Amino acid sequence: MTGRGTPSRFLAAVLHNGVGRYVRQLQRLQLVFSPAAPDARGARQFVEEAALDFARRHPDVVLYISPRSCPAPLLLAEYLNGTVREELIASKTSEEIAQLATKLANQSGLDIIRIRKPFHTANPSVQGQWHPFTNKPTVLTVRGPRLPPQ
Amino acid sequence: MATGLLLRASRRLLAAAGAGAGAGRGAHGLPPRHNKKRWLRAYLEQQRLQAPPQRRSEKPNWDYHAEIQAFSHRLHENFSLELLKTAFVNSCYIKAEEARRQGLGVDKEAVALNLQDNTKLSEQGESFSRSYLTQCFEGAYPNLPAKGIGALVDFLTSQELVSYVAQNLSVQDLTLCAEFPVPPRVLQRTFFAVIGALLHSSGPEKTEIFVRDFLIPQLIGKDLFEIWELINPMGLLVEELTKRNISSPEPRITRQSGVSTVLPVYFVGLYCDKKIIAEGPGETLLAAEEEAARVALRKLYGYTENRRPWDYSKPKQGWAVEKAISSN
Repeated sequence: MTGRGTPSRFLAAVLHNGVGRYVRQLQRLQLVFSPAAPDARGARQFVEEAALDFARRHPDVVLYISPRSCPAPLLLAEYLNGTVREELIASKTSEEIAQLATKLANQSGLDIIRIRKPFHTANPSVQGQWHPFTNKPTVLTVRGPRLPPQ
Repeated sequence: MATGLLLRASRRLLAAAGAGAGAGRGAHGLPPRHNKKRWLRAYLEQQRLQAPPQRRSEKPNWDYHAEIQAFSHRLHENFSLELLKTAFVNSCYIKAEEARRQGLGVDKEAVALNLQDNTKLSEQGESFSRSYLTQCFEGAYPNLPAKGIGALVDFLTSQELVSYVAQNLSVQDLTLCAEFPVPPRVLQRTFFAVIGALLHSSGPEKTEIFVRDFLIPQLIGKDLFEIWELINPMGLLVEELTKRNISSPEPRITRQSGVSTVLPVYFVGLYCDKKIIAEGPGETLLAAEEEAARVALRKLYGYTENRRPWDYSKPKQGWAVEKAISSN
């Protein structure tokens, strides 16, 4: 739809992440899948093969595996700013799920909506923001008669 | 015999017709007969939204030990886990737990919890952060007076800011507290207790870097006089100038526009010894003079918007030694 019809936000980082140190914004990943459903085959393979590897590579993300009867296999990502994102992993292969998990781990929890500008700064002007009076002579400038050339 | 066969055949035909009709209905996209009520989904969603907020520890999938370990990895710090667990325990939680156990009729020995409070760690963390931040600002802005530095440190260790930082670092999920949502005072105390725990686990240098990395970026985009409330900037400016042996400023109107309209703008310049030190705009002459005084103070204290950004690089301990060696 149009820019006005859909929500949008400015480029931002949670708590100025990256200025001081980088803190991974993903807090925990919950892998909910059914032990018998056919579309959760990729999820089961992921748990058997790649989940431990993922957990070792990301020690700051807590990975919960819950095999229970559910209508569809899900990957629930909880972020530090409180956002909870659900991703369906039905009929996905184990590699695709691993890629998705890495993508979620590299995101911050801010909304995935249109970003108005691809840049943001707190100090946009170094020499001073231009205003209509910049570079104009002040009221105090004395403008006398033209002096003869010497 | 023939009727029986016909009956069975007709029953089979009916069943086939029913199945065929059902398949036919499914093929045509008609809903099955016994479905859930149309309003049920919306109602359940509304109930879920109106339910009171619950602690994360009471929701499914929660492992406290794993969360604490992940917390220390996330902050790239080596915490000693017992100190960290003590840092999250608040006195209100201990009291509430003991009251609950007594209410449940458990005997006296089991009522007393073997948990230590985080008050001592919190006090140590708070005093350490304040002293470190004061030291930082004294080094970075040597011309800023003690009141200004005090205002900056108070802002950075204030309840709202520290509780906001703590909330976005998932301290709220790990805190053990009687109330939920955790009140900002408790979050502030818990965050300082975490700093205290880090102080005891890793030493002062690492804790200094931690405080610098999480509290000082909150000054980005903030102006000095937003944080430090000044009543009489002109008086303060005159004091500062007399301390530096500069004559008092003379205000002059440098630019003006729209004087007789409803939205005038005046630019007042402050001149010391006929040299301009600052210029500030305003809607009235008094407001413009005050703004010019503030601009002059910002220039004097070195807290302008175009100052050098804060240095977040890793401090090299052996740097001074290396410099001495290389100069020889």
